[in-house]
Amino acid sequence: MGLMSPILNAVPANAARIGIGGPVGSGKTALIEALLPVLERRGISIAVVTNDLVTAEDAERLRRSGVIDPARVLAVEAGACPHTVIREDPTLNMLAADELDARFPGLELVIIESGGDNLASTFSLDLVDWWIFVIDVAGGGDIPRKRGPGVLQCDLLVINKVDLAPHVGVDLDLMLEEARAVRGGRPLIATACRSGLQVEAVADAIVEAVLIRR
Amino acid sequence: MEFGTLLAALRFGDTTFPGGGFAFSQGLEGLAAVRDARPDAQAVADFLDEQIRHRWAPAERVTLARCHRAGDDLDAVAALDRDLDLSTFSESLRAGTRRNGAALLATHARLGTPGAGAYRGRILSGEAPGTLAAVQGLLWRASGLDEAAATALAGYQLVAGGLAAATRLGLVGALGAQALMPRLLDTVARCAAEPVADDQDPTGFSPFAEIAAARQVRLPLRLFSN
Repeated sequence: MGLMSPILNAVPANAARIGIGGPVGSGKTALIEALLPVLERRGISIAVVTNDLVTAEDAERLRRSGVIDPARVLAVEAGACPHTVIREDPTLNMLAADELDARFPGLELVIIESGGDNLASTFSLDLVDWWIFVIDVAGGGDIPRKRGPGVLQCDLLVINKVDLAPHVGVDLDLMLEEARAVRGGRPLIATACRSGLQVEAVADAIVEAVLIRR
Repeated sequence: MEFGTLLAALRFGDTTFPGGGFAFSQGLEGLAAVRDARPDAQAVADFLDEQIRHRWAPAERVTLARCHRAGDDLDAVAALDRDLDLSTFSESLRAGTRRNGAALLATHARLGTPGAGAYRGRILSGEAPGTLAAVQGLLWRASGLDEAAATALAGYQLVAGGLAAATRLGLVGALGAQALMPRLLDTVARCAAEPVADDQDPTGFSPFAEIAAARQVRLPLRLFSN
């Protein structure tokens, strides 16, 4: 991360900030890769902060994806503490988002992707306005039933890779039913990010939650 | 130390106070590459001992103390801040202390600590680099800590942060880290007892840690910022 310039310490927080968390391999980066062109077609100016567990793998993947200007992607090292960097001590992520705000006038949305973590991770509301938690069917149909704080507290639960359900022995209808039950009816969307299934619906939810109201 | 000062020091020294320090290993992550072997507890202790005696005590502690004395004279704080930045040879350690300082300053600015917002403006305009030691001296004085308490807190955080990094790197266990803590804190206390003159310059020299920090930057997989 190019952090030598004074702009690092810029203060304005003009863009909406959303979090995307979830277990390793659930499809957080794939969701962002699918969302970026959809949101950009809607004319929304976007930047991304990644919290890679090691080095800057997700940041590099996004920079090379061709779906976003590489300068709009910053990596924040989590020091082996993926929960801490988005919850107990989000200061480094706040600085990164501030820096993006200052670098790109008119920026409307900063997506902060958490490092691969587990069902207990949640975002600090000091850092984000609204957040998504991503799980996937290949991780097991019983994940919603385990009632992890991420599943319960997020503003939107995304259940990804639904196309894999028949191949991994998951009863998708039951998984969705249990997810709705544990979340008390709060929003969830079933996606297959690789094929683009329901990505527009996730984009709609983001726009409705943090952009229309601003 | 007054009871209120002690409580304030406990507050700022607690890991629940957001300051960004957890993401920095100060080169410890690169120690294995320098030694060509997995560091053991003694190697961790030696690494931190060098940092305390040859970097923190003669450089960062001096800047902290003088910035504390400068109080709300932000011109003086910025000059001392620049001196420390210029005296830090390692790029990754220099960038790390700026980032850590910026994180601590961001928290205090949001909490409304006097001087935090104004000094952030100085950094934004390029007048000051915002090294951690300078920011600590400025903010902790404004928060009611006397110079001795601020120095003790900075020394404690150096040791505790280093041992936390060592624990997360799997070099020592949590209990092993605590076993190392007393003698490292004794070293901090001995160093802190040395007076800081009003015109003293920062003169740190810790080449082993700087080489480790340089090697850390080139590791293919890194957990820490430096």
